[in-house]
Amino acid sequence: MIYPGLQDRMVKNMAKNNERSHKAQVVLERFEKKLNRQIVGSLVACVHCGNCTDCCHYVLANPGDTTFAPAYKADQIRKIFKRHFDWTGRVLPWWVKAKSVYTDEDLENLKDIVFGKCTNCRRCSINCPMGVDYATFNRMARGLLVSVGIMPEGVAVVSKDQWEIGNQMGVLKEDYIETLEWLSEELEMEMNDPEAVIPIDKEDVDIVYTINPREIKYDPRTISDAARIFYQARESWTMPSDGWDMTNFGLFSGDDDLGGAVAGRVYEATRKLRGKKLVMSECGHGYRSTRCEGPNWAKDDIDFEMESSVITMLDYVKSGRIKIDKSKNDSSYTFHDSCNNARSCGLFDEPRELLQLAVDDFREMYPNRAENYCCTGGGGAMSMSEYSARRLKSAKVKADQLKATGAKYVVTSCHNCVDGLTDVIKHYKLDMQVTQLVNLVANALVEERRGIPVPEIPVEVKPAVSLSGKKILVTDDEPDFLTFLTAVLEDNGASVLTASNGDEAIRLALAEKPDLITLDLSMPGKSGIETFEILRKDDDTTSIPVCIITGKPEMRRLIYERAVIPPEGYVDKPVDEEGILVNVRKTLELVHKK
Amino acid sequence: MDFQHFAEHRLQEIALLIMAIVYILRLRWLLKFKAGKERQPKTGLPGTTMKKGILYSWANIFMPWAMESTRARFFIYLQFAFFHVGVTLAILLSFLIPYAPGLLEISVLVIAFQIFIGLACVIGILRILRRISNKYMRAISTPDDYFSLILLTVWFFFATLSVPNNGGTIQLIYFLLTAFFLIYVPFSKISHYLYYPFTRYYFGKTMGYRGTYPLKHITPPQS
Repeated sequence: MIYPGLQDRMVKNMAKNNERSHKAQVVLERFEKKLNRQIVGSLVACVHCGNCTDCCHYVLANPGDTTFAPAYKADQIRKIFKRHFDWTGRVLPWWVKAKSVYTDEDLENLKDIVFGKCTNCRRCSINCPMGVDYATFNRMARGLLVSVGIMPEGVAVVSKDQWEIGNQMGVLKEDYIETLEWLSEELEMEMNDPEAVIPIDKEDVDIVYTINPREIKYDPRTISDAARIFYQARESWTMPSDGWDMTNFGLFSGDDDLGGAVAGRVYEATRKLRGKKLVMSECGHGYRSTRCEGPNWAKDDIDFEMESSVITMLDYVKSGRIKIDKSKNDSSYTFHDSCNNARSCGLFDEPRELLQLAVDDFREMYPNRAENYCCTGGGGAMSMSEYSARRLKSAKVKADQLKATGAKYVVTSCHNCVDGLTDVIKHYKLDMQVTQLVNLVANALVEERRGIPVPEIPVEVKPAVSLSGKKILVTDDEPDFLTFLTAVLEDNGASVLTASNGDEAIRLALAEKPDLITLDLSMPGKSGIETFEILRKDDDTTSIPVCIITGKPEMRRLIYERAVIPPEGYVDKPVDEEGILVNVRKTLELVHKK
Repeated sequence: MDFQHFAEHRLQEIALLIMAIVYILRLRWLLKFKAGKERQPKTGLPGTTMKKGILYSWANIFMPWAMESTRARFFIYLQFAFFHVGVTLAILLSFLIPYAPGLLEISVLVIAFQIFIGLACVIGILRILRRISNKYMRAISTPDDYFSLILLTVWFFFATLSVPNNGGTIQLIYFLLTAFFLIYVPFSKISHYLYYPFTRYYFGKTMGYRGTYPLKHITPPQS
């Protein structure tokens, strides 16, 4: 342990001798390369007027804590710029509070600001009289830290998955294809039409449809809803087998190389299939990354059309290609503008127009559009579990905004916002649910049966693996979650055993030989990772499928790096009933097939 | 040539020349950074364009209703407006006294100048108090912020008293302060007006191209 006084003296000595840690040195070298005229303008133009202060949801929810003020946060980056690139700061650093970075600890402190105290929502940017775009250079600072390996664990894990596996949730290609085939079969049965399918890699189509991997993992209903809409619109469409993830963690991590590579995969897939238009499902950061920032990162002048599925659906309804009956959506609805869709891409009116065509009772949220508050899960915050408490505290502003609408549903065109808002609703105990436009439009569809019956040849129907008779061992140290999980599984026919720590789980697994074990990773005493390793190494339990359910996505890497067979299932918290059932069934199905 | 005359003429010319040279160097420095290229196709509604975005962005400061930050703190906005009117008039005064003293024989003009510059001086004091008393303002303030504000407030004070063009020590101090001000400005936060057209241009261009600017407000219905 280094005493604070000694630490300060060490830093002062380093500053005096102009010595730096390797990482600090690299950050400074790369800083200059990242500067462009827009960023330099924003770095020099701030007059410290304080007008941005009350525009930030972190400030509003943490009164008195000045470290959340946008200008203060911006200054932590600005002071480095001033010390090295701005003349007054170079000559008289104390006069303008210019200061360099010397140690890895300085960089860690900067990490806490740029990742943990800002969601890059850009609300302060549109409220700055000088036009200072803090969010843009905050992203730049994130990129600098990422380039030397300083970032929240969750950001590292997700970025690694997107680099190596090709999507941010580590969904394997076979799982993706299998899920699409399963959804396609369901659609075909439902519509009683062999043409009602989800086409994969079909060439020369009008639309190449790309999605968020969250849809595959937790919310396949949004894919089948979109497929039903395409079917009813008689659309010529397909989903690519590669380059299907239109989300882009490069936007959150500030890594332009990752951003370019991920966007490039989507563009390549569209060109390979000779698609006329690339349509992105409802995802705010995915839309912004692919539609707006991607061409810049990938240095690619796009030669095909790109649009949000919101615009596609609106066009179908307005042109009469699909008919919807708004009385089918008979609750009350409000709309949450995603920061990336709205503030950064101008998608304000289309979702509202579509929503008003799909529901009767629409209630505007205030403030809205470009002035709406972040869902508080933006900027990759949902993957940074170390800042969860801070995020949820700052969500008070959003919770109040939601509550004031009195609506039963909040509609949003962003998967990140779906998760962020779900967390807010749960944390602040609001009587509300989150949904998306695709779900509402699909629900309101006036479906036209095409009258082409499925041939009488018996179709091999793959029923979902039943939980009836299955013995499931649930392990979690949170009593509430244990109760919730037990109730969900028992309601679906499973017989449930519970363990609140690793030792108990091992003992029960050996004694009861369950069909499946769900395992939390972060538990007091023996951690989930150790427990998992012991279970895998023991001959009596090695073949029992394990589904990890964790609130710490950054621990994913730790479990996959073990020298044992990886877990069969993996679910990030927060998770709802449907998400749990889908994943538990899929895990059992996988084992059943093997 | 007495010192008063030197301070009102030659000293100002030298200071202006230094300021112009430093500004040219500063602009050269800023322009050496490449402007980020935007390759993405346009987004947003058909009525929103890059050009509209830029114009809206530049005009933003004259539309206190356009931003929540100015809408919600209208008194602060008014302070900003009168403070900057005061700056403009105090600069203009440094040209009127040596080059068009006849105009300062018009009593209405003298009174108007004194009211506006005097008001700016009062606002300067309010701004100093706000910067010292507000926790958030203190956290973001640098010595340059305090010094620039105090410098301007003192300058306003002497400018207000110098408007009648009676000469003497007060007017001499006003011109000495003006010369110092001209030389100091390019190195301080006061030079923000040099960057304003750039930051606002680029932000407006992006926001216009992406359909965010001009902002559309839907206000809550009056209950």
